[in-house]
This record gives sequence, C-alpha cells and structure tokens, in this order.
Amino acid sequence: MSALKRKRGGKGPGGKAKKVKLVENGNEPQTTEMEQNKEISVPAPVSMGKWKNKERVLVFSSRGINFRTRHLMQDLRTMMPHTKADTKMDRKDKLFVINEVCEIKNCNKCIFFEAKKKQDLYMWVANVPHGPSAKFLVQNVHTLAELKMTGNCLKGSRPLLSFDPQFDKEPHYALLKELFIQTFSTPQYHPRSQPFVDHVFTFTITDNRIWFRNYQIIEEDASMVEIGPRFVLNLIKIFQGSFGGPTLFENPHFESPNTRRRVIRMATASKMREKQMVKELQKLKRTENKEVVTRDVTDDVFATPAEERPVHIELEAPAAKVVKKNKHKAFKRQRMQKR
Amino acid sequence: MDINEDDEQLGETSEEDDSELSDGELQDAFAKGLLKPGLNFTTQEPKKSVNNVEGLKQCLADFRKNTLPWVERLDMVNLPADDIVAKSEGRLDNKASGDINPDDDFQREMFFYRQAQAAVLEAMPRLLKLKIATKRPEDYFAEMAKSDQQMQKIRKKLIMKQTMMEKSEKAKKLREQRKYGKKVQVEVIQKRQKDKKAMMSAVKKYQKGMTDKLDFLEGDQKTAKGGAPAKGGAGKTAGGQTPDKKAMNKKGPNAKRKYKDQRFGFGGKKSGSKWNTKDSHNDVSGFRAKVAHGKGGKGGKGGKAGPGGKGGRGPAKGGAKRPGKNARKKMKGRS
Repeated sequence: MSALKRKRGGKGPGGKAKKVKLVENGNEPQTTEMEQNKEISVPAPVSMGKWKNKERVLVFSSRGINFRTRHLMQDLRTMMPHTKADTKMDRKDKLFVINEVCEIKNCNKCIFFEAKKKQDLYMWVANVPHGPSAKFLVQNVHTLAELKMTGNCLKGSRPLLSFDPQFDKEPHYALLKELFIQTFSTPQYHPRSQPFVDHVFTFTITDNRIWFRNYQIIEEDASMVEIGPRFVLNLIKIFQGSFGGPTLFENPHFESPNTRRRVIRMATASKMREKQMVKELQKLKRTENKEVVTRDVTDDVFATPAEERPVHIELEAPAAKVVKKNKHKAFKRQRMQKR
Repeated sequence: MDINEDDEQLGETSEEDDSELSDGELQDAFAKGLLKPGLNFTTQEPKKSVNNVEGLKQCLADFRKNTLPWVERLDMVNLPADDIVAKSEGRLDNKASGDINPDDDFQREMFFYRQAQAAVLEAMPRLLKLKIATKRPEDYFAEMAKSDQQMQKIRKKLIMKQTMMEKSEKAKKLREQRKYGKKVQVEVIQKRQKDKKAMMSAVKKYQKGMTDKLDFLEGDQKTAKGGAPAKGGAGKTAGGQTPDKKAMNKKGPNAKRKYKDQRFGFGGKKSGSKWNTKDSHNDVSGFRAKVAHGKGGKGGKGGKAGPGGKGGRGPAKGGAKRPGKNARKKMKGRS
C-alpha cells in the first residue's frame, strides 16, 4: 500500500475530499478503486473513529546487538503497531543524532537499544524533541519465541497498561510512568491497530528495578496467560533533554555491569592470591630445618624414687637346666582315649 | 575471603596516604575491632547521586498530555488482586511490591500475574462502558502476534510435557505395584514351604508307625471340598488343585503335534526307518507292468500335460499329444 492510502484519516494532497467521502460511505470508495485497478489488496482493519493521537515510536538499535536483543526489538515492533523501524546506528555516531533520525521518520517517541561489549544491553526511552529521556540497563530478556510463553494475541491489538502503585509515590517513577504510558499505549483508531483490547502490559517495581510483563486476557474473569516478551529495566539516569541534557535523576542503587564484573574478578583473584600465599608459607615452614630436641621434658615422669642398684653383669653362661620330662610320654588327650 | 567495609575512621586515614598506612595505626585499628582478618579493601565514599525533585516535577508537568482521554492511554494503577491461594491457606497476601522476594521466582511471577488480573478486573467495566471489545468475534480473522507455526510448537511442547507427566506417574504406580507383588510372592513361597514341611513330617510319622492314617495324602482334596482341617489352609488348596485341573484339561497333544508325530514318528529309532527291508523289497504288489518303465505315455513326462506323477500313474491321454515340429511351426505362424 502506498503511503497515501495508509493515511486515511490524515492529511495529504487532496486528502480533504477523500476524507469526507470515507466518513460518509465507509469503505465503498476503496472497493471501487480496487475494481478500477484490478489488483487484489487486503483491506486495512476497519475503524469507525478518527485517529487523533499521532504518537509514533521509533524502535531501533545500535550495531553489535546479539540475537536476543534483535528478537526483543522485533517483538516490541509486533506488539506495538504504532512503531517504526530504522537501520542500525553506527556505534561511532553520537546519540543526539537520533533526534534527527526521529524527525526524519516523523516520530515523537523513541526506544533505542544500545549494545555494549556484546553483552550489556542498554535501553533508552525518550520523548524526542524536548525530552525527558531515561536510560536503563536491560536484564533477563525473554522473547516471544520462547516456548514457555503460551499466550497469543492479535497483532496490533491495544494493550492495557497496569502500573504498580509505587509509580505514584516517587517523582522519578511518576515521570517514568508518564513516559511509558505515552510510548507503550497504542493510539485509538490507529490504522494498523485492531479495535480490541486483549492483552495487558504490567510494570512492577521490585528490587529497585522495573519488571515488564505481557499477559493475554483469556476470559473476562481475568484468567490470563503470558505472551511475552519479558524483561527487567534497571534505571540508570533520567535526563531532561532527549538523549542528553542535564541529569534529573540518578539511580543510587545502580551498579554498572562493568564494576560488578570487576568486583567478581577481584574477589576470585584475591582468593587465588591468598591461597598462593598460604601455600608459600607452608613451603617455607617445611624447608626450615627443625631444631633437634635434645632433652625430653616429659622424661621426668619416668623418674622413680627408687634407690640405685649396682649394675650386675653376668660373665658366665647360666647352667643348663635338667630336663626331666619323658619325651615319649603321650599327650593327655591320647592317654584319656586309651582308657 | 571477606570484603570488610572499613569504618569511616579508617577510610579517612586511608585517603591521606593510601597504601602507606603505618603499622601502628593498623594495629590500633585492629585492637579496637575495626579491622577484621581477611583481605581488606579501601571503600570509596558513596557517590552523591542526583535527585532533582523539583526538576522532575516540572518536567512531568511540561511533558504530561492532559488533553488525552483515558481511552487513548488505557493506563491503570492498581494493587495486585487478592491472592486466593494465600487466603485459603491463611497466609497474609503481600499487597505491596516491596514485600516480595525478587529471588523467589514463583512468588514474584504470581505477584505480577495478580497485578495484571486486578488491572483487567478494574478495566473491564470501563471498557464495557466505552464499548471496546476485549474479545474478537469468532468470525474475525486477523494476523496474530505469534505465527501458527510457533503456536503449533508450543502446543506440541505442552502435550509432550503432559505425556511425560503421565508416563512418570504410570511408572511410579507400576513400581509400587511391583513392590506389593513381590511381597505377595514371598508370602506364597513361604506358605508353600510350610505346607511341604508339614507334609514331610506327616509322612515321617507314618513311616515310623506313629499313625496309620493316610489322611494327609488326601488332605488337599478335602480342604478343596469343604471345611479346612487343622493343618490345611488356603495355600494348600491352591497348590493341590492345580495339577488335577491340568490333568483334567489335557486332552493329548494338539493337532499340529499329532500330525507331525504321524508324519515323522516320535520316540524310538529314527535312522534307517525308511530303508528297504527284505519284506518291502519282495513286496511287488504296487507294480503295474502297464505303467512301468515310462510306458505310461508321454503325457506323464510333460509337466503341463497332466497331473500324473512320475511313472505316469495317471491314464495316458491320447488327446494331449504334442504335435510335430512342422505342425507347431505352422500353428505359430497362424496365430
């Protein structure tokens, strides 16, 4: 479909007349158009209202992301019909270039995934021209492709957003809440959206992190199944501008993955070093020649208060004993038997 | 190894000359109990993190779009729904997210789930009022977030899991049964031995002439028929009945065996049984001059011509004579 057709409710050259027509007779003009062109095209989902909230989110990433991040990004794009994609950013580019990219893409929100060291994933959520923006560390990513997530929903249906009450207690969380609402909620009557609400995004604060979950509403009595994706956001900083500007908030509980790894490495290293030292000490101890103990202190125990006798030495062999025994005498047992 | 956080006092001293702490100072610290054995790190002072509350509030006020109605945003703030399981067990269900242990996977996920539940329960009436459907009609087909292939995979996995569970359950049951069966077997064997012993002792008694009754020999039959005598018992009936029954049931060998016996013989000398003897040699009753020495006609030899065996036992068939070579050629040419 061309861009013109997609913007049914929007502006465009000659859009006014067309719009009026659409509102008046619903879908008819489209069908006639189709007949004229003699090409088969799937009609866009029918929405009766007018699309007012022109929120668009640019979802893209830097280079060097791993497959899991790529999948997560793809999943976010499928879950949010009001997103747009762009090519990956070069790592050398400065972050404020993103603002221009967003402007070109006609987006006013941005979710930017930044991969570092091929293992750490950072996520920026920004309100583009004027800010604010927040930077998170993303942990524990699970994507839609996992078989444990058994739910499913319409592509492009609108989500309910559920927030923990803790979001209203602190000012930085309140700001984040507003930011999330504006980015993740799908505008009503968005042309690519479906007119149903069949899943829930939950944002919960636990352990100083924000946990994201996505559930499918199966029944109206609130039985649900998880769809995915799921991830944990660890807030790092909130900036006033988009991708820059003065820092409004800095998370005191945040520990950067680098320092974390460093501490672990240092711990193991020092453990090794200590072991080595102990070993060396033992070796040294072993090589030290031991003092020869000349006198045994415990010898006193054996000192008895008996008077000394002169040492008697036998100089002659003792006289041989006379053996009286009858050699041929039978044993007692045999004698008893004979009887 | 311990990573002990040194006290502030120590931290200050270490700032002055990092590695050159004098031994005296260290000893003093140790005496006071500030130092503990193990490796000690110098800790950095905690960084002052920025928290510009005013700025945050200002930013939020600027940023908020109050013009948007709830329908556009669909946001909820809610506590988790009641934990039915916890309630039934009499535990206190944790209402705040601060209470849950993030390392306890099940508890945590349950909390998230309940929060989503509460959101749905709260949002349902509002959505109904706004006439927004939460379920698509049956005949509404649209692309789903996950492909059919993926869902198939998931289904397969679920089924496999279920079958695995069933299998393991079955195996468990079987194991238990086997255990029980073994017990029964041991019991039976013991009983049999006991019976045998009793029988032997009875026989011995008879041999020594202590009794001249031979009841014990029929004891099993008696027990089988009616009231059990003193040493009888259930075991004996079971043991005694089986051979009788077998004998009753046996009606000789089966048909196949019978046929084989008849054909090949059984028992006795086998080799040479088919050789000719004097009598068989002299017996010429089967000789027929008409048929002997290939006089039975050519039909006998031809495989197709007739069913006659070797020697042309069947009657010579004149009509089936093979035509001559020329005639055959002609026939071939004709057809």
